[in-house]
Amino acid sequence: MSTLNTAVSVAASALSAERTRIEVAVSNLANAGSTRGADGKTYRRRDVVLATDTVRSFDSALGAASATGVKVAAIVEDQTAARRSFDPSHPDADSEGFVELPNINPAEEMVDMVGASRAYQANLTAINLIRDLVSRSLELGRA
Amino acid sequence: MPTSPITSDAQTMSALRRTLSLAAARQVVSSSNLANLSTPGYKAQEVDFDEALDQHVGGARLAVTNGRHLGGGSDAAGGFATRVSEEGAARRDGNTVQVDRELLNMTRSAGEFARAQTALAAKFRLVRYAINESR
Repeated sequence: MSTLNTAVSVAASALSAERTRIEVAVSNLANAGSTRGADGKTYRRRDVVLATDTVRSFDSALGAASATGVKVAAIVEDQTAARRSFDPSHPDADSEGFVELPNINPAEEMVDMVGASRAYQANLTAINLIRDLVSRSLELGRA
Repeated sequence: MPTSPITSDAQTMSALRRTLSLAAARQVVSSSNLANLSTPGYKAQEVDFDEALDQHVGGARLAVTNGRHLGGGSDAAGGFATRVSEEGAARRDGNTVQVDRELLNMTRSAGEFARAQTALAAKFRLVRYAINESR
């Protein structure tokens, strides 16, 4: 039983990590034209860094099947150069008439979002399968 | 080493219990792989089949060194080793997890678990029947 609970918490860690990826992709898409971010400068594309995360449990201490979850290690800013667009009438245009627009490619964000939502679905399917097992093992005690 | 020719209830239950723990261990490993679907450089794991088989077969036929020994379980439950899966090419980010393969493994071990559970429940029913004096 406890190993099945570990499996559920592993899948749950992936659900939250993939949700973060979707949130970040959405905020990138939403800010594709933001010339003023929180620091007053042009918004920069954000990226999620995923890393493996060992689920601490009694079983792993005993050397049983190791359960490896996933966690969001960091959310970093993409350091590629901002797009420059000639628009002298824009309030944020520099002295040469260029505006710095965020380094965001909508197609890239959409692909990221589709990948994250597929991974989310796969983990949801896994949780459903494990839930069936747990309910079956509970049936063992019934007459 | 002599083994008892007749498999006792305890031996059958012990083997079924092992099937249950193997299926559960497979679920844990597959869900770990699915969780790390997007982690760069992650290598897909699998339950070490040979070792699992050894434990499995060792459980089905217990060594009896004395005629009055009863069959029973001997190992720690759920102690299955894992290794890096060698199947499947790595993606560009070094990750070797394949969604279809993992979901297939999970479905398969869920079926295995359900079969063993049904058999174990039937065994328990028989035991209860005996305890209740055939009532």
